[in-house]
Amino acid sequence: MRLQLTTRRLFCFASVGAFLALAFASREASAQVVEVDTAHTFYHEAPTRSNMTVYTPGVSAQATPSEWITVRGGYEADIVSGASVATKAGKAYQSVNPGADVITTASVRDLRHSPTGGLTLRKGDVAYTAQYTFGAENDYRSHNIFIGAKTDAYGHNTQLEISYARNFDLVCDRVQATSDTAPRFRALENSTGCFANTDPLRTRHALAIDGFQASWTQAWTSVFATQLAYTAQLLDGFQSNPYRSVIVAQGLKAQEHHPDQRARQALAFRMNFYLRPIKVAFRLTGRLYRDTWDVTSGTGELEAERYLFENFRVTARGRFYKQSGALFWSDDYTGGDLPLGPKGQYFTGDRELSPFWSLGLGIRAAYTIRPEPKFDGGRPRLLGFLESAKVGASFDILQFSYDEYTLAGRPIENARAYIVGLTAGALF
Amino acid sequence: MKMLLALALLALSSCVTVKPAARSVLADPIMQFEGDPQATAQLRHAIDNREGSYGGGGVAGGGCGCN
Repeated sequence: MRLQLTTRRLFCFASVGAFLALAFASREASAQVVEVDTAHTFYHEAPTRSNMTVYTPGVSAQATPSEWITVRGGYEADIVSGASVATKAGKAYQSVNPGADVITTASVRDLRHSPTGGLTLRKGDVAYTAQYTFGAENDYRSHNIFIGAKTDAYGHNTQLEISYARNFDLVCDRVQATSDTAPRFRALENSTGCFANTDPLRTRHALAIDGFQASWTQAWTSVFATQLAYTAQLLDGFQSNPYRSVIVAQGLKAQEHHPDQRARQALAFRMNFYLRPIKVAFRLTGRLYRDTWDVTSGTGELEAERYLFENFRVTARGRFYKQSGALFWSDDYTGGDLPLGPKGQYFTGDRELSPFWSLGLGIRAAYTIRPEPKFDGGRPRLLGFLESAKVGASFDILQFSYDEYTLAGRPIENARAYIVGLTAGALF
Repeated sequence: MKMLLALALLALSSCVTVKPAARSVLADPIMQFEGDPQATAQLRHAIDNREGSYGGGGVAGGGCGCN
């Protein structure tokens, strides 16, 4: 633990030191090369029997001391509090146990830290990016390595980008009896001692994630551009929620049990079109998704953005999403092989693996503050040192509708999420 | 067949030339696919954790944050 903390601190100090050195060096080399941004997102939902509030603050900075290099660093956190469903049952179980309240909830309080650092190197029309991101929660550790290459072609009208990311993750779990099988596994009670190596009832499972993406962005006319992006992801390891139990037979609950392997693919198509007569930019996105758990989904998004006055732009957006359930999804796993076997090899209490659709509506406003031009030929500055500054705010509502997921026969009501975003940035 | 179609489209892109002087609208923030990457990434992070699907945006990231 001490070694882990020391290594992390060293990484943190080294990253901050390297970034500051480059930032100050860049101030000497050029006057417009350091950018600092901060974003804050508040997420809240309170559907039946649970509620969740997540505050995500983030700060990032990047410096370009020379045309051929950009160095960046950042930090993000998730501050989570609320209550989630700890034991899930379906309507068939409830019908033979009328009046019994089998659904339990557990309070959730967690903090995720995620520092990141990376750099981009440019040579001609090609840019190479490498980035490392660390993630730490009470019950989860993540190391993410990202590499990517991007090139401009055909007079900068075409951009091609490929990237690869690899996650080396660890998930905390409860030690299970060696003689037990999945339908007898017990859920993790809490995250105490997960990464302390002091609790003999805690263990860690590996989760490896390989991600690949290729994208093609094309300017077709002076007001029309498109983007095609393909993503593939392979997950190998523990993917269940270790805290969640599912009623699998009369009087028997077990930790939810997902397959270890999952291969996911998504194809997204975006187009931007600027309609001159009304001075509005329209962004249309369509995405198709499929994975080996047999979840398929389609997403459609439409955004309209325009300047209300100089440097002040507003966006209105709408989003529709629909997915099928996973192959092993069931609202009720009781009634399997006798005497107390669940229905199927895998069982889940995850509503994100059930069939559902969602509708989202949102607005966003952004204002860029630029200094007044100087008539003496000098470089204009805000407050004497800023090239420009920007602020933004957004508000989104997402309404979910679950086709099959119930809490012991009771449908989820008030499945609505509110998302507030605030951003600010400055260019030095 | 799909691969041929993709290659044909890519080849077609070489015929397109939008002169630098005509790119003022394309260069404007309102025509960017991800105008504010950090805010977009945070919004996507929040939504991805409520859905069974993933992808089409980016592959970088760290941690679960999936409560």
